[in-house]
Amino acid sequence: MLLAKSNPFAAYAALLQGALGSTAGAAETLTQTTMLLFTGLGVAIAFRAGLFNIGAEGQLVMGALCAAVAGAALHLPPPIEIALCFAAGAAGGAAWAFIAGWLRARHGASEVITTIMLNYIAFFAVNYLVSGPLRGSAAAPETAEIWHTAILQPLIPGTRLTLAFPLALIAAVAAWWWLQRSVFGYELRTLGRSERAARYAGINTSRVIMQTMALSGALAGLGGASEVLGLLHRFNAELSPGYGFTSIAVALLAQSSPLAVIGSAFFFGILQNGALSMQALAGVPKDLVSVIEGLVILFMAVNWWGGRMRLHSLDNVAEGDDVLAAAAAQPP
Amino acid sequence: MRESSSLIAAVIAIALIKATPLIYAGLGGVLSENAGIVNIGLEGMMVGGAFSAVVASYYTHNLGLALGAAILTGALSASVLAYFAIRLRADQIIVGMAINVLSIGGAAFLVALIFGQAGATPEVTSFASLGGVTSGGLAALVTQPQRYALLWLALLLVAALHVFLYRTKAGLHLRAVGEEPRAAFTAGIDAFRIRYLATIVGGALAALGGAYLSVGELDLYSDGMVAGRGFIALAAVIFGRWTPLGTAGACLFFGFFSSLQIALQRASVPAQLLEMLPYVLTIVAIAGLLGRSRAPAADGVPFRP
Repeated sequence: MLLAKSNPFAAYAALLQGALGSTAGAAETLTQTTMLLFTGLGVAIAFRAGLFNIGAEGQLVMGALCAAVAGAALHLPPPIEIALCFAAGAAGGAAWAFIAGWLRARHGASEVITTIMLNYIAFFAVNYLVSGPLRGSAAAPETAEIWHTAILQPLIPGTRLTLAFPLALIAAVAAWWWLQRSVFGYELRTLGRSERAARYAGINTSRVIMQTMALSGALAGLGGASEVLGLLHRFNAELSPGYGFTSIAVALLAQSSPLAVIGSAFFFGILQNGALSMQALAGVPKDLVSVIEGLVILFMAVNWWGGRMRLHSLDNVAEGDDVLAAAAAQPP
Repeated sequence: MRESSSLIAAVIAIALIKATPLIYAGLGGVLSENAGIVNIGLEGMMVGGAFSAVVASYYTHNLGLALGAAILTGALSASVLAYFAIRLRADQIIVGMAINVLSIGGAAFLVALIFGQAGATPEVTSFASLGGVTSGGLAALVTQPQRYALLWLALLLVAALHVFLYRTKAGLHLRAVGEEPRAAFTAGIDAFRIRYLATIVGGALAALGGAYLSVGELDLYSDGMVAGRGFIALAAVIFGRWTPLGTAGACLFFGFFSSLQIALQRASVPAQLLEMLPYVLTIVAIAGLLGRSRAPAADGVPFRP
């Protein structure tokens, strides 16, 4: 900001003004938060299992496409229609992430690489589908508009804030409860601490890896579905400005805790939504937000206030740590 | 008959041109990964190189300085990766992601700041302006060596890196550090120094690949111009089984597909399905469905003596 020769405080003020200064601005911030919350939760849950899901963007896009196709094909009463569309979105995202989970569990292929590759495959696949087989609009490469009962109405008229926001909050609480209190959550966390310890404890690690990836993708897919049902009402390939990538920063800042993801998604929602008004009012290019995002990721990689961020399980560190990990992962 | 042979020559020429930036970044990846540092930040380093080369060329009109600026930027961001990964033992994937986000965002931010226009820089002095009119085809690569200097340099570097890794003592040490750093360390090899150097030189190479895109093939930097080539290069490293020759072969193969795509534009094959192919093949390769594809044993694992 000093580089931009503008007063940093003026820039921050403009950013906050744009993001929270009006009902419309705040509603839009929460709309962005919704997307980051769904995708960030997905990435966070995978992190907890020691899996690095970089593919949230591709899973979001696949989920959005499935929700749009279901929304256009089904003509049912609103609650059923909407529920089925969300289910289709979750299924689309889950299926896409499951590929990476399956490759990791059965073939030992790093999910980091496969999810990166699956992102690109998803982009090219949906680009092909909306310009060919699934094209439902003469004007642009998009799918047909979803049936009117599938549309999520805005909670505040004139804004884009929909029911998806409270749903995302519920998802965060559910994910937290599930991680802490369910058997699956316990297995997932044990796997995250040490794959070997999990295996000694009798956990079917292949199954947990595949289930975790599918769940992670389902959450990203729900994000995609809410974008289609609440905002665009159809699918086009440019529907995400990179929520799936920002979600990595969201999950890291929250240290992979589902409840903390709510706060960190809100923080990035403010940044993203306030960036444009910062550019307009204070003359600071909006891309400063990406720089901040990059710095957050960089510093969270070291995690200077409490041990190092450990994605790779203890297996890589030292043999003796397994015992510690197994001891730490006592059943609840 | 003559037409079809000139078409084949054009496809080969375009394949070489398209493969060049991938080869630079791929060799950068081969170098650091053989020393045990996974570099997911290749994409960001290419972006940094592409952007800084344009800035240097804009102010100095000197292509040598433009390449120098790219090398410097790449080395600098790779030192960040190296410092965090080696000294702080941070997760290499996360640091690489951070470098990508920082470089892409930083370049977009600086384009708007320096040139007062968002999205793209003005046109600058570039290799494309050397050697006059493009004659196109394979012959141009030979008749206009100045213009395609970066392409020839890339091919030279492939051979050089192969010789370095498999025919020199330093190369053997580097691979030892990537496979079994503890044993190498015990044998008196400075594992830290080798990891630093391999990562930093690798970053400089990736940045040269970026510079090739901005001042080699084109004459400006625009947001999104690297367009995932860093990740294709990463794919090529895996596909090429972490060797320089294999990686270069994979880059040529991927380059061939993008040139085929240009040639087949009017045909009925959807372009997106061809573009998808490198990524699909990489998944197939890494899943071991094409035979063994194994990373250096200590790739991505922090080393503590």
